[in-house]
Amino acid sequence: MNEQLMLLVALQDLDTMIRETQDKVHATKLANMGFALEGVDDLRNAREELAGSIEKALLHRYERISQRLGRAVVPITSNVCLGCFAVIPTAYTSMENREKILYCENCGRILYWPRGT
Amino acid sequence: MNRQELFTLFSEDLFIPSLKAKDRDGVLQEMVDHAAAAGVIRDRDVILGMLKNRESLGSTGLGEGVAFPHGRSLAIPSLMAFFARSVKGVEYGAIDGKPVKLFFMFIAPPIEKENRYLPALGQVVELIRDAGTREQLLQVAGYEQFRQIILGDGEESE
Repeated sequence: MNEQLMLLVALQDLDTMIRETQDKVHATKLANMGFALEGVDDLRNAREELAGSIEKALLHRYERISQRLGRAVVPITSNVCLGCFAVIPTAYTSMENREKILYCENCGRILYWPRGT
Repeated sequence: MNRQELFTLFSEDLFIPSLKAKDRDGVLQEMVDHAAAAGVIRDRDVILGMLKNRESLGSTGLGEGVAFPHGRSLAIPSLMAFFARSVKGVEYGAIDGKPVKLFFMFIAPPIEKENRYLPALGQVVELIRDAGTREQLLQVAGYEQFRQIILGDGEESE
C-alpha cells in the first residue's frame, strides 16, 4: 500500500482511540470490564510522532476534512464511498489506482480499500 | 449478546492452540500475521501498530492469565474475534503481573453497523471470570472443544 496512505490510516486509528477514550460512555463500559485507560498522554505523543512523518500538505488536508466531516479516511465497499455513499468512478478501481491516494469526488474524503482486492 | 451469537464471531482460521511467541509484542505479531495469512486483514503493520498503541493506553491483560488485545482499525472490513493460547505463558504486563496464557483478540472497523464489538468483548470478559472456564480453555485440544466451551456445553445459553 502507498506508505503515506498507510500512515493516514494509522493516524485515524489513533484519533479514533483517543476520541473513544475521552468518550464517557465508551470509557465507562471498558472500565466496567476492568480495562484501565491511563495512558492517553502516551497516545497523544504517538500521534504527534506519527503526524510528523506525514507530508505536510496531506496532513493538512486530513486535519481539515476531519474537522469538517468527522472521519477523513473512509473505506470503499462495492465501489461506494462509505463516507457519503456516492459511487466512485470506475477508473478508481484499477489495482494501480488502489495504491494511490484518491479522494471521493463527491465529499472529498480520502478513500481506502480495506480488503485490498 | 448470548453465547451462540458470540461464538459466530470466531472461526477455525483464527484459532491458535499453541503460540510460539515468548513476549507481548511477539504474541501480537504472531496473531496479526496469522490473521493476515488467513486473508482477514489487509495491512498488518497498521493493525499491529494500533494494538501496541492500545497496550500503551493500559494493559489488556486483566489478570488470571488472560489478555484481551482489542481496538478499532480502518484496516479491517468487519469485526474479527481470534483465540490463541500459549502453553507456557508470556510476560504481558498484566495487571496482576502473572504470565498470560489465554488471548482473546477483538478488532472492529471504526463504523460497525451491528454494534457487536463492545458487547462481544464484554461477554468474553464475563465468561472468563469463571475459573472453570479458564481451566477448560487452558486444556483445550482443538476448535471443536473451544466451541463447546464458548457455547457452555451442557449449560443453558443466555
